[in-house]
Formats: sequence, C-alpha cells, structure tokens
Amino acid sequence: MKRLALLLMLAATSGLAPAQAWPTRPVRIVAPYAAGGPIDISARLIAAKLQESLGQPVVVENRPGAGGNLGVDYVAKSAPDGHTVVVGAIATHAINPTLMGSVPYDPIKDFRHVALMVQVPNVLIVNLELPAQNVGELVALAKSRPGRLDFASGSTGSTGHLAGELFKGMTGTYMVHIPYKGAAPAVLDLMAGRVQLMFDNLASALPNVRSGKVRALAVTTRARSGFLPELPTLDESGLRGFDMTTWWGLMAPGKTPQPVVERLHAETLKAMAAPDVRDRLRAMGSEPPAIRTPEQFTAFVAAEQKTYAELVRRSGAKPD
Amino acid sequence: MEILSNLALGFGVALSPFNLLMCLVGVVLGTLIGVLPGVGPVATIAMLLPITFNLNPIGALIMLAGIYYGAQYGGSTTAILVNLPGESSSVVTCLDGYQMARRGRAGPALATAAIGSFFAGTISTLVVALFAPPLAEVALKFGPSEYFSLMVLGLVAATVLASGSLIKAIAMVLLGLLLGLVGTDVNSGVLRFAFGVSELADGIGFVVVAMGMFGLAEIIVNLEQTDQREVFTSKVGRLMPSKEDFKRMAPSILRGTALGSALGILPGGGALLSSFASYTVEKKVSKYSHEFGKGAIEGVAGPESANNAGAQTSFIPLLTLGIPGNAVMALMIGAMMIQGIAPGPQVMTERPQLFWGMIASMWVGNLMLVILNLPMIGLWIKLLTVPYRILYPAILVFMCIGVFSLSNNPFDVLIMAFFGVLGYICAKLACEPAPMILGFILGPLMEENLRRAMLLSRGDPLVFFQKPISATFLIISIVLLVVISLPALRSKREQAFAGEEQK
Repeated sequence: MKRLALLLMLAATSGLAPAQAWPTRPVRIVAPYAAGGPIDISARLIAAKLQESLGQPVVVENRPGAGGNLGVDYVAKSAPDGHTVVVGAIATHAINPTLMGSVPYDPIKDFRHVALMVQVPNVLIVNLELPAQNVGELVALAKSRPGRLDFASGSTGSTGHLAGELFKGMTGTYMVHIPYKGAAPAVLDLMAGRVQLMFDNLASALPNVRSGKVRALAVTTRARSGFLPELPTLDESGLRGFDMTTWWGLMAPGKTPQPVVERLHAETLKAMAAPDVRDRLRAMGSEPPAIRTPEQFTAFVAAEQKTYAELVRRSGAKPD
Repeated sequence: MEILSNLALGFGVALSPFNLLMCLVGVVLGTLIGVLPGVGPVATIAMLLPITFNLNPIGALIMLAGIYYGAQYGGSTTAILVNLPGESSSVVTCLDGYQMARRGRAGPALATAAIGSFFAGTISTLVVALFAPPLAEVALKFGPSEYFSLMVLGLVAATVLASGSLIKAIAMVLLGLLLGLVGTDVNSGVLRFAFGVSELADGIGFVVVAMGMFGLAEIIVNLEQTDQREVFTSKVGRLMPSKEDFKRMAPSILRGTALGSALGILPGGGALLSSFASYTVEKKVSKYSHEFGKGAIEGVAGPESANNAGAQTSFIPLLTLGIPGNAVMALMIGAMMIQGIAPGPQVMTERPQLFWGMIASMWVGNLMLVILNLPMIGLWIKLLTVPYRILYPAILVFMCIGVFSLSNNPFDVLIMAFFGVLGYICAKLACEPAPMILGFILGPLMEENLRRAMLLSRGDPLVFFQKPISATFLIISIVLLVVISLPALRSKREQAFAGEEQK
C-alpha cells in the first residue's frame, strides 16, 4: 500500500502519466559501442527479456564514437520518458570525464542509474617466459630492471592501462606502457613475448590462462574470482586496497520519472536473474553484482568517478 | 590420415540437414546485404546475434560465417555493376570489374569473380584444414616492426595500382595518409584534426569514404555525360567468359589464391591487403598490363580470388589463437562467447565437431554461392537495363540508408557527401581514388605499428633491420622502388622511340 501511495504521489508530482502507461511505444537501448562487443551483447541479452516483460519491442541501437561519449550524450539529451535508455560504462561515466578533460554530459546529474549489469575483474597476465611466478617476484624483477619491462593495454586510458599505472604507483616500479587498438593484438604480442605483462579482462584472459598460453598472477578485485579461485588477489599479494573492476549498467536520462525507473529496474533485475541470461553473463566473466538498487548504483558511480579522476591524473594518461 | 577422418567428421556435421539450411540462410542473407551498398556484414551479424542464442553453437556459427563470405560475394557484384565497393576488399574489384561492365562485359566479370572466389575458397579451406596450427605460429611472429615493414611494402606497391601518372598516384597516397590521421592518437589519446567535432574522434569510417569516392562520385560523373549514359544498356553481351577469358584468368586466380591465403593469416589488415597486393602483382606480371584500369579480366580474377582466400584463412588466428583478425571475426568471438565457447587454441581439441564442422561448412557455403550466383548473373545484369532516372536515385537512397546504419549517425551521410564531391573533383583531375583508399587504410595501421615498435625498442630505429622478416620486407620495398622508377623511365623512353619510328 505504501508503495502504491508513493507511486501515485510521484506520478502526480511529476505531472506525467502513471507508471502503467510506460512503455507506450518501443524502448530503445543505446549501446554506445560497436556491435558485437561485450557491452552490446549484454544489452541484447537484456533487451530480449525486457521485450517479453514490458510488452513492447525493445531494440538495441549502436551509437559508437568518441569512446562511448556520443551515444551516452545522445541519451542524456533525449526525452526522459523511459523510451530511450543507455548502457553506461566505467569509461563513459568514470574515466572519460577526467581523461578527456570534459564531456558534454554530467555522469551523475544527467542520468538515473537504473541497474548495474556486469562487473568483470581484470587479470594480471604475463608472458610464459617471464621468470616471475607471482606478484612478489614480478615486483622484484621490475625493480631490478627499471624501465625494461613493458605492459600492454587495449587503449590509453582503459582500465587495463590505469590498473598498470596504479600497480606502478603502489609498488614504486617503472614500466613502459604500450597502448594497442583493442585487447586482442595486445594479447598476441604478450604471447609472443614482445610485451611482458598486461591487465586483461577476465573473459578474454580466461581461455588463454586455462590453455596455458599465458600465466595469470593475480586478479584486480578485492575478492577472488569464482572463475579462477586459486588465483590470489593483488590486495592479498601485498598491494593493499587494490580493487578495480570493469563495469557497465543500464541508465536513463536524469529526469526520468521515479515509477519508470523503478519498473525498469525491477524488470532488468528479473531479466538478469533469468537462468539463460545469467549463464551468458557469467560466460563473459561477470558474476551477479552486489549492487542492487538504483541508489547504490548512483553512489557507486560517484565513488568510481572520484577514484578514476585521481588515477587518471596520477597516470599522466590525460592529454594536455 | 588423421586429416581425412577430421574432414569426414567435419562434413558429417556440415552436411546435416539443419546445418545445411543454416549455411544456406547465411549465404543468401550475406549475398543480399553485400549487394545493398553500405549495409555490411558487421551490422547484420550484430542484429542476428540474439537469434543465434536459441540455435545450437555449430548451426549459429555456420550461419554467421555464411553471412561473412556471402557478403564478400555480394559486395563484388555491386562493385562490378555500379562501382560501389561495399567492403574494403571489393575496392580493387571496382577498378577493372566496373570497366568490364561498362564495355558490356558485366557477365564475364561476375562469372570470373564467382569462379575465382570458389576456387580460392576451396584451396584456402584445405589450407585451413591442413595447416591451421603451424600457420598460427606464423601470425605470432608478426610484431609491430614486421607489420610496419609489411605496410611500407604495401604502400610502395600501391603506387603501381594507378594506371595513370606516377606523381598523381603518390599525391593520392599522401592524401589518403593525411585523411587517415584524423581521430584520436593511439599513444597519447590526443584528438587530431577533429576540429572539435566529436563524431570525428574515432576517425573517418572506411566504408563512408569508399562509398563517396567511388559510388557517389561515379553517379555525379555519369550524370554529366548525358550522351554516353546508354553505354551499358545497349550491349550487355555474353554472360559467360569465353575460352580466351578462361585462359587469361586461370593463372591470376592461382596467384591470387596463394597471396590471399598467405596474407589472410595475419591479424590486423592482412586479408585487406591481399586484394590490393594481388592487383599489384597481376599488373606487373600480366602480358596485358596496358589493359589494367580499362577492363582487364586478370584485374578481377586475381583480387577476387585473393580476398576470398584471405577471408577464409583469417579464421586461422580466430580458431587457433582466439585473436580476431577483423571486425567480423571479433563478432564471431562474441557469438562464440554467448554460446559458452571460449575461442582459442583449445577449441580444436575440445570441440572437434565445431572446429571441423565450421571448416567443412566454409567449403559447402562457397559451393552454394557459386550455384546460387552463376544463374543469377543474368538477373543482375538486367539491373543495368533499369533506366538511370530510376537506378540512380535508388542507389543513392540505399547508400544513405547503409551509411546511416553504420553507427546510426546522420553525420556519416554528410561525410559521404563530402567525399562524393572530392571524388568528383579527383575524377575531373584524372586522379585515381584507389591509391588514396590504400593510403587511408594503411596509414593509421602503419603509424600505430611504427610508434609501437619505437616504444618497444626505446626509440632505436635499427630495430626494423634487426628482425629478419621486417628487414626482408624493407629490402623488397627498396628494390621495388628502384624497379618502379627505372621502367617508368625506360618505358617512357620506349614510347618516345616508338613514336619517332612511327613517324
């Protein structure tokens, strides 16, 4: 009853149609990255389920460009009626605002953070011939050969790059950052021994780790990953407090009415809990996120933004 | 004999009624989107991904692979008929394929493309089956310095692409290189030449440039020539290649297949290079090099075989290393991951049915394409008899839709219009767009690899000569440069002499 009253009140104050009226037409989920990537795929997984539960077509629209900013900005400025939503990610909502100096949207105020969908740890992987068997040995090796080790990443300012910079800062080592265009060519050079280490996301690292093509030394999250339970965290390997995940989730324009946000949130969580979706998200290296409510999600985005602002500044990744 | 039992296993999987159907659906769909300008396999596969959730993994991947090589096929069709390269690999097919069509030889050109592609597909499927694991090791040997030197070789060879003036060809390559600089710098993340337009942050899209420079410019040029516009419609000519044609195309197909199979293995632009490389080789080797750019059948047969072979062997890094060689392969990885298959070296041993089934289905798919497309040639050619007042607006509309669908952004359509005008200006100045396109594709790759190699060597440029593979490429480039400049002088002198004798 209390909930209903709240709904009615909000519907009245916002001056919009009540929640039952949403969605009145097809819902667009903007994926701000190219088709086929993990963000696009997870959006499509959710969209298929939402379509059933909302009773309206739910389509995924790819609007790639400018590191995801184009699609995110488009939604930030779309009508806040719940018919246009976006998959916002760590890049667009935590890293880019500092990395690019400015972005045309406010990652907090211009969005309702509906549901965190995916959280994937990064894994520190090294070339097989590197004589370091654990993080301690790697740090010792890096100290004995300052500036001789190279670490690769999928792009400047990616979580892989920033994890490397954080690692350098916390261990007092110096290694050269080699940026690639995407993680795939970076992994290839790592296997061939042209670069020695890299922080790769769990999903892409897992097959190579399991087939013994690369050696994993640690995960970047505070807790160990269920996919590689024997692998220590960086935190327990001496880098106290090291905690990084790559994440993305569903977001709506900032002025979207509360009832719509609540319904979308509830349906999205239901979609994520469906066994087939859960299995496929797991296949991408993601375990169900602990963050469940929109309020927690907003707080999380704000905290991440602060963390990465600091990290980006310290890393020198920001172009002058 | 293990290979025979493996292939038998593969064909057992590929020939099951359901998988045959999936393969057919894939290649038909692929051909269709290939024919529609701008709508590429990337967008199509992305849209179809959710449908594949409910299929079994083998069927799903067979269908997606079918779309990929079906699109290559369809792309050549529009390249030949209306000078519209839908895919990077069919840019080269435009050069002579379209000229053949203009001379009423669209039928033989289409048939050549089909036959060349099928032959190349057959051979390269065998290559994948026999040598996938050892060839994957070759891909591992290619690092930044090797790629850089390979691109240098590609660019040097590119100047040979032009049929006209060498100076203009070099100027166009440079223009392409400059356009390739637009976008975010890989190393520092700084925006270059974007003028505050965030749509330019990721650079200018290849398809957008190619459609503008070739397709749109061609339409403008044709509208100008009111009296010559009847060229195609009056003489459609024979559909099948003549005996003479077969004799001329056979060696080109063989060379194209070899080149394509070799370069396709390299992730990062290898398959792309193969059609350009094949054209260059054909032009140098052929007795009919004077016909190139005016409708030489070798100029269709070689590159078409090469790009199909390259498309096939680009599955090697995907299936053995889990490394995608191009955007479509990256999508295939996505499709595999959704199905709970981690792409990588273990696929072959853990899921032999999937691995060999896919390889067998590649050949089956190629066969289907030939069977589907040869009888369709007559139908395609009918397209040319459609009056221009209907054909041109229709093509324009499809181009705009296609380009818009790339990233759902109207900005891309404007960029295409800009390049259409640029293409028209170039046509007026007798500057050919092909070298520019190659510079545009290779420039960013070259810069990226150069800077990465220099970062890794801590700024020592000698690294390019210390690695044997890289050094070989550079030496070939230097030799080629010398050879290009010598015969250019020589042939000019010969022409001058010949001219004198005739008087």
